[in-house]
Amino acid sequence: MWAIIKKEVKTYFLSPIGYIFIGIFLIAFSISFNLELNYSYGVIDFKNIFIYIFTYLPTILVFAFLIPMLTMRSFAEERKNGTEQLLLTSPVSITKIVLAKFISALIIVLIALLFTLMFVAIISFFGTPDIPSALVTLLGFTLLCMAYISFGIFASSLTENQIIAAMISIVTFVITWVLPEFIKQGSSFSLINMFYKFTTGQIDIAYTITYLAFTVLCLVLTITVMQRRKSAK
Amino acid sequence: MHILNYIRGGITLIEVKNVTKKYGNFTAVDNISFDVKDGEIVGLLGPNGAGKSTTMNMITGFIEMTEGEISVNGYDISKKPSKAKKQIGYMPEGVPSYQELTAKEFIKYMAELKLVDRKIRKEQVQEVIKQTGLEEVQNKLIKNLSRGYKQRVSMAGALVGDPDVLILDEPTVGLDPKQILEIRNLIKELGKNHTIILSSHILSEVSQICERVVIINKGKIVAVDTPENLEEKSKNKNILYVTVEDKNEKMLSIKDKLKDIQELEFIKDNEDGTKQYKIVSEEKVDLRKKLFEILPKEDITIFELKKAEVSLEDAFMKLIDDSKNVENIKESKKEEITKSEDNEQIKKVEEIENIPNEIRIKTTNKEDEDMTQKQEKGGKE
Repeated sequence: MWAIIKKEVKTYFLSPIGYIFIGIFLIAFSISFNLELNYSYGVIDFKNIFIYIFTYLPTILVFAFLIPMLTMRSFAEERKNGTEQLLLTSPVSITKIVLAKFISALIIVLIALLFTLMFVAIISFFGTPDIPSALVTLLGFTLLCMAYISFGIFASSLTENQIIAAMISIVTFVITWVLPEFIKQGSSFSLINMFYKFTTGQIDIAYTITYLAFTVLCLVLTITVMQRRKSAK
Repeated sequence: MHILNYIRGGITLIEVKNVTKKYGNFTAVDNISFDVKDGEIVGLLGPNGAGKSTTMNMITGFIEMTEGEISVNGYDISKKPSKAKKQIGYMPEGVPSYQELTAKEFIKYMAELKLVDRKIRKEQVQEVIKQTGLEEVQNKLIKNLSRGYKQRVSMAGALVGDPDVLILDEPTVGLDPKQILEIRNLIKELGKNHTIILSSHILSEVSQICERVVIINKGKIVAVDTPENLEEKSKNKNILYVTVEDKNEKMLSIKDKLKDIQELEFIKDNEDGTKQYKIVSEEKVDLRKKLFEILPKEDITIFELKKAEVSLEDAFMKLIDDSKNVENIKESKKEEITKSEDNEQIKKVEEIENIPNEIRIKTTNKEDEDMTQKQEKGGKE
């Protein structure tokens, strides 16, 4: 399993995708940071500014588009190139393969999130940020990303076309983001709305479990798809 | 390495038992059974779409069979996939590999995937690189390598981890003649301490490399035998091809003078005015000497006299044609039976059905033409 994780992370950086992902994310994050500074009319809330950045549209939007970019290739590319055959005829079990793909994408996201700590450093130079709340926000954002990544990988296991895999994820993310706004009571089902709860600095156990359950569900679905394909191929 | 490897050639390493693979209503592999003994090189032979790759994919556990059992070194591929897969080195069709990695990185990754112990990994990777002749290109990206080297990289990926069984799907497809020869020699070399199953639709290749051949057509096994036996079986007539200059048109009358000739047939006119004939006789009768004596007396000049070698190719074509013929005969006979309900005919059909692998000669004109074309090609080479 470690072999696959190592190789996957390496290929993220052999192709430009890893750099593009981290780059675009940091640009979006900086734009959010900039917006926050410009629209705070001189009264900068240094305590919570780091948390606010995460709630800005560019940050969220970019993730809905960037994570599919990261996950679209995971199984679709292997299937298209036939390397799936190498992977599935190795003694590594399908569960471990799926987990390895998930963890390697998560590592890239975590690297990107690690860079955001740079903003914390900048903020603490001018004021005192609320570090615990910032960390809770990061935790919530990581959980949101885990849910997105697992769905993205599931989408990738459905097709050999990377673009289709990406489209499935993007459309789903946008729907789960926009739709609850129009449905009464729907907002509690939105993965993104759940994340806002974390920005208040509280670790919500119910939401944490919901995120983890969603992640596990998607991964189990992926494993099922891979196993079923074995007899349908 | 498995201790049983030291006692070679008796133990069944791969057992394929009543395996069927269906895709909806289409049966890709139909109830096939064969086994591979330790140390053997077995060739899966068949036209494109016969079910060779499907069979290999089932042995390696890439796809699941609809019915039947496959065991590798005693481990059932469905029940103990991880252990069974560890015994196998697989080189899939089309030699897939990770294009963005270097040859060495790829082989190392394959070693890791196969759970090769960290201590011996580096050493093994180097050994495999040496064995497959990749030293010079080991640090190049796979996407920049030529087809022949890609093939070697894929082969190295299958070899690493020292598996007992190597499964090679069309290992020489897409290579130039020199590369084909190199890969073949490599396979032969590997065959000394591995059990190998390889698939091919090139017959000469199989007859050169393999000790046993499993011929598959339309998902069914048509024959399992050594290449020599298969050739022997299809050889029960002696066929000569003779090119002559025959100004007085006397050639066809030769048949009356030489009673051993069973069949004398005009094949074609050549551009230079010579004519080619085909002469068929009993297997044990060699007419060549007599022809050289008699033809000049009739004022016929021999330009070329050639004995048709019965190759595995012919055996193969015959087996495949026969399996078609059996089917056709079965169908047509069955139709007749339903019409007349004649008991004798039922018996006949049963007889035909009971001769699965035996080779029956049905020389049709079309086959002869094919044969001459092959002969000509052979001559040019």
